[in-house]
Amino acid sequence: MSLLYDEAQQQIATEAARVLDDAYSGERLKALLEAKGAYDQEFWKTCSEQGWTAVALPEEYGGLGLGLVELGLIAEACGGVACGAPFLGSSHAAAQAILRFAGEATKAEWLPRFAGGEAKGAIGFADAQDMLPVAPSLQLSNGRLNGVKPAVSGGGAADLAVVLASGEHGPVLALVVLDQTNVTRTLVDTFDNSRVTADLAFDGVEAIALSGDGLEAARTILCLQAVVTAHEQVGGAQKMLTAARDYALTRKAFGQPIGAFQSVKHRIAEDYVLVELARANAQHAAVHADHPEFGRYAAAARLSATEAYDTVSRDATQVHGGIGVTWEADMHLHQRRARTLAIEIGNMIFWEDALVDALAEAA
Amino acid sequence: MVDIDAYRERARAWLDSQAAAFGHAARRGLSVAEDLALGRRWQAAKHDAGYAGISWKKEHGGQGLGPLQKLAFEQEEMKHGFPNTYFAVSLGMPVPIMLRYLPDGWKQERARAALRGDEIWCQLFSEPAAGSDLAGLRTRATRDEATGDWIINGQKLWTTWAQHADYGVIVARTDPTVPKHKGLTYFWVDMKAPGVTVRPVKLAEGSSHVNEVFFDDVRISDAQRLGPVGGGFGVAMETLVIERYSATDPAGFGPPLALLIEQAKTDQVRGRPAIEDGRVRERVARTYAIQNGLAAIHKKSLLALEAGLQPGPEGALHKLVSVRTRQKLSEFAIDLKGVSGLRWDGDGERKDDWVASWISAPTGRIAGGADEMLLNTIAEKILGLPQDHRPDKGVPFNAIAQ
Repeated sequence: MSLLYDEAQQQIATEAARVLDDAYSGERLKALLEAKGAYDQEFWKTCSEQGWTAVALPEEYGGLGLGLVELGLIAEACGGVACGAPFLGSSHAAAQAILRFAGEATKAEWLPRFAGGEAKGAIGFADAQDMLPVAPSLQLSNGRLNGVKPAVSGGGAADLAVVLASGEHGPVLALVVLDQTNVTRTLVDTFDNSRVTADLAFDGVEAIALSGDGLEAARTILCLQAVVTAHEQVGGAQKMLTAARDYALTRKAFGQPIGAFQSVKHRIAEDYVLVELARANAQHAAVHADHPEFGRYAAAARLSATEAYDTVSRDATQVHGGIGVTWEADMHLHQRRARTLAIEIGNMIFWEDALVDALAEAA
Repeated sequence: MVDIDAYRERARAWLDSQAAAFGHAARRGLSVAEDLALGRRWQAAKHDAGYAGISWKKEHGGQGLGPLQKLAFEQEEMKHGFPNTYFAVSLGMPVPIMLRYLPDGWKQERARAALRGDEIWCQLFSEPAAGSDLAGLRTRATRDEATGDWIINGQKLWTTWAQHADYGVIVARTDPTVPKHKGLTYFWVDMKAPGVTVRPVKLAEGSSHVNEVFFDDVRISDAQRLGPVGGGFGVAMETLVIERYSATDPAGFGPPLALLIEQAKTDQVRGRPAIEDGRVRERVARTYAIQNGLAAIHKKSLLALEAGLQPGPEGALHKLVSVRTRQKLSEFAIDLKGVSGLRWDGDGERKDDWVASWISAPTGRIAGGADEMLLNTIAEKILGLPQDHRPDKGVPFNAIAQ
């Protein structure tokens, strides 16, 4: 696959951006910030109506048979509007876990539902600071889950979760339906509440163990998710870059647009550099999804996208001056989202380690 | 694409076969004169093997191929440290521009001599008071009305390899009564002509590849003019974009990250391999992410080029990011060595020696577009932000406060 988007891919990107821009409402998103456990149902409906939930799943399970490149482009558009639900990414990750590590019956049961957007998935790997615990506190024995997964994004509303647990022979991925007795979801108040983050507690709950080494499988899923999220981060960063540029052209001080001052102009130029590096890394990783070195490409995409979104949303707020720090301005939606995406699927330290381990091993 | 890959493979095989005679090892310990002589032989060898002037027209002595083949060759050539530095400017800008403007005959002879490394051209643009603000240059070319000749007086600076140059292209002020961009004219000059004095400038890194060049009543004929009188700034800009398709290096022409990783496996921090130290890991990871991004941007622009699209403004981004990243990584690599990092290897090359890379990095961040100018380019050309305040805009050159 090429690093240049073809016509069909460009069309996906344009159409996704058009649909989402039309539906964008900062007010609706801000209301979600103050409503623990709620998410933007309109957005999620759009995802299934537009077929975005089906994009990267195989045709035999109701998907469109496209890949990370196309899903990435849609995620980029979602990032641009700080979309009000985590499920496009988290469901894809859950579906990929099933596709790669579950039996045929499970695939046939769940994948079409993910493709149609009827099911929502969540990923629960971390134990507090540890993104991929070697000995997860959650236990899976005799097909039953016992214990807690803390702060699972989407966990408050997902139908199905893929969790990393300690099995009888070491770490294992397990598939668990969340809407059943003995599953307790405790919503967590976060600075970005539309992620419907919840602590998930299991008390002897039936779960399906997925195949393969749990840590390796979890890492595979995280890398895929990192690339989708990197696109989302790039979309958000690009949005903030444009906002900063536009404001610097309109706002005047000392008799000229503030964008004519090099302290402002060069800051925005530096932000452009971060966005372009992140964009190139994300795209490069998406194109190389089947490459033996995909892991390091995904990590590079993750690192530069996180840096770009954090930095550009921070800088864009600074360029806006006083108005940028108000509730009314939408800048804080992106600052919140930037930090959320930076953490949810592993912080910088986690991905730096993943990358250096891969590089040092190869060198 | 297959076509380019095959070309690259052939080039790589040929370059590998030449490495022993002309590469790093062959150059170690040579004096400048010996290295230049080796460089001329290298250039001749490339010419004979069909790798000189790859993207030049055949009637100019080139190979008549495209920028993709040229880039592929340059990327492969870079790996062996061949002595090609003396011809980079010459073949990159002055010779191609004179080929565009001069009549047939003499120019083809010069082009062939330059392609073989027998002759070298330099580019006389910058001056003590005109660097980033090139149009502010002060070297004068005054018309001798009796003969139509031009008399050049003034001083150029930072002229790469002028000490070895046979010819040069020069921009001079022919009319100081009009705004600065409009009063310039472009010529070629014989560097051995009476009145031309070249003095090498020793750089902080210890080498002297740049010079100051003085012009004292140097007489040239009007036939040496390239473009119209007063059109020199335009020709200068045209010259500078000829090399837009040149090879880039995500490592900023410094050592590869893999070298640091190798060293960090044996070097120690607090009694443990340095590669296990969080600060080292952070640096390695962040640098990899930057360089991988640059490589992807470069690959993308090559594909665009192949698809017949115009390359975007990614060159400014690439230079800005790659060189300063190299500078910081080189500092870090020296740091990691502790007091052993203080050692100086006179033969160290910037592609494989951290000290050589570090000490020459500031040059890289200034030459060919300072970081600050690149940021302006990005801000103005890409993002559409306002141009800087320019008090000399529209003012006749001789009325600008000097």
